[in-house]
Amino acid sequence: MQNNRKEHLYKILVIGDLGVGKTSIIKRYVHQTYSTNYRATIGVDFALKVLNWDSETVRLQLWDIAGQERFGNMTRVYYREAMGAFIVFDVTRPTTFEAVSKWKEDLDSKLTLSNGQSIATVLLANKCDQKRDFLTNNSLKMDQYCKENGFVGWFETSARENININEAANFLVKHIIASENDILKSVVPDTISPQLNSDKEMTCSYWLSLD
Amino acid sequence: KSGQSSSSISPNKNVRRNLDFEPLSTTALILENRPANLPAKPEEEAQKHRQEYEEMVAQAKKRELKEAQKRKKQLEDRCKLEESIGNAALTWSQEILPNWQSMCSSKRVRDLWWQGLPPSVRGKVWSLAIGNELNITDELYNICLVRAKEKWNAFVAPTAAAETESEDAGLSHADREASLELIKLDISRTFPNLCIFQQGGPYHDVLHSILGAYTCYRPDVGYVQGMSFIAAVLILNMDTAEAFIAFANLLNKPCQMAFYRMDHSLMLTYFAAFEVFFEENLPKLFAHFKNNNLSSDIYLIDWIFTLYSKSLPLDIACRVWDVFCRDGEEFLFRTALGILRLYEDILTHMDFIHIAQFLTRLPEYISAEKIFSSITSINMNSKNKKWAQVRIFL
Repeated sequence: MQNNRKEHLYKILVIGDLGVGKTSIIKRYVHQTYSTNYRATIGVDFALKVLNWDSETVRLQLWDIAGQERFGNMTRVYYREAMGAFIVFDVTRPTTFEAVSKWKEDLDSKLTLSNGQSIATVLLANKCDQKRDFLTNNSLKMDQYCKENGFVGWFETSARENININEAANFLVKHIIASENDILKSVVPDTISPQLNSDKEMTCSYWLSLD
Repeated sequence: KSGQSSSSISPNKNVRRNLDFEPLSTTALILENRPANLPAKPEEEAQKHRQEYEEMVAQAKKRELKEAQKRKKQLEDRCKLEESIGNAALTWSQEILPNWQSMCSSKRVRDLWWQGLPPSVRGKVWSLAIGNELNITDELYNICLVRAKEKWNAFVAPTAAAETESEDAGLSHADREASLELIKLDISRTFPNLCIFQQGGPYHDVLHSILGAYTCYRPDVGYVQGMSFIAAVLILNMDTAEAFIAFANLLNKPCQMAFYRMDHSLMLTYFAAFEVFFEENLPKLFAHFKNNNLSSDIYLIDWIFTLYSKSLPLDIACRVWDVFCRDGEEFLFRTALGILRLYEDILTHMDFIHIAQFLTRLPEYISAEKIFSSITSINMNSKNKKWAQVRIFL
């Protein structure tokens, strides 16, 4: 602890339909491993990833949220204070893509930043190592889709083959930092607090200094 | 020097062949003189090497003896354990089970029960303890299974577009039979390391059948994630129809129904009651969790939905089930407090994310004795009120 490194803590949600590979993506990202043996997530699982970002430290608190729609009532309380999100779908199962807009609407309706913006959200088209015959072949269309639905971007990913996971995460962090700077510019720095539809006084990010 | 010591461990096969015992790696060290084409060691050095060699062999022998004693002790312990399991199995099958109604609540049986049910009678005792209030028959199971199979076939046939339609239709709250589709995705993710429920595994179809039949039996509940773990544990301990009957009756218990029907306000009363006992039993840890904004639902959801079968090692989870069958829902929350107490020292030094990670992924090796003695020390009386009374008044 010799230098005064600035430390950021960001909570990131990983959501999407059941079985699309949320846990696998997180394990790949955090532990650099892949297994076909992951158990279904019940409720929520957690992971922590620490990044060196320029001269600062970024801690990503990853919330891996159960995919079954019916857990929604319980798991939506876990949205609060999040600064970014991945919405994941499985390119081999079209219904999981159709659910993406539902997940996005749900997220936006439950959580906005203090400036009224929705949190930075990246769309992940997972299992891209497997056969796929729809939509992600057409990247123009996907770009359009992201624009229309308020995603900051999308990536084809494969947790199995380790494709684009780090890239997507760095991309999301970049956007989180940018949106945080926007907030800092627009409000008095001391009173950063995002507005939560259900909850009033929550800080969305923590600026800490290590001695 | 290093060259010499390595030459004293002879790679020479002739020497090896002369040995009339199978050497263990540590006693296979053989001291040899330098090869004849090299100058001989001075006497003093040779003497020193002989001494070093003897010390090494003596130490190795001592170590081996110690290890042999340890192995013997382990073997004895295992024999003792097997004997006691064998004795207990006899007591259960010949004395207790034939006289279940009159004996099941006696102190002796309850004490024996706490020590863990022998695997050979476990399924039988669970079935008896869970009961069959719903009066489900084998025939009903078969009827539900046939219905489930018809639904599956209807899902497989249509094109992707039609599939989407039927799934959307299924989202209407009256009928959750559409959750049949989700079962397929979860089966192979149920105890994947046992390799018996995955596609092609011996119990894949059984698990599929029970979950499918239940969805048709209770379309208002449908399939909910977590159920596959419960059904799997039952399948491991009883035959298919019995497992279905136990599964349906188990899920019909108030706590399980509250969770699996996602009755949010009722679930909150369970969490709140748990926190009452948490604060009284482990005030320091309770305060630490509060300071870190860590609410009990974060870990209880996984633990209660799967009855610990996902988070605890399977043999310990089965022992939790044993006593859960004896004591009911209260024991699930007592177990949670036992786990927190067992790891209290570690947990008080962790922050939010590390606690959350730890509790949703408990250590893979946990001693059954330690956890059960920790559970024993949890007091489930709060100001003279028992669990059920506390929960009802919340």
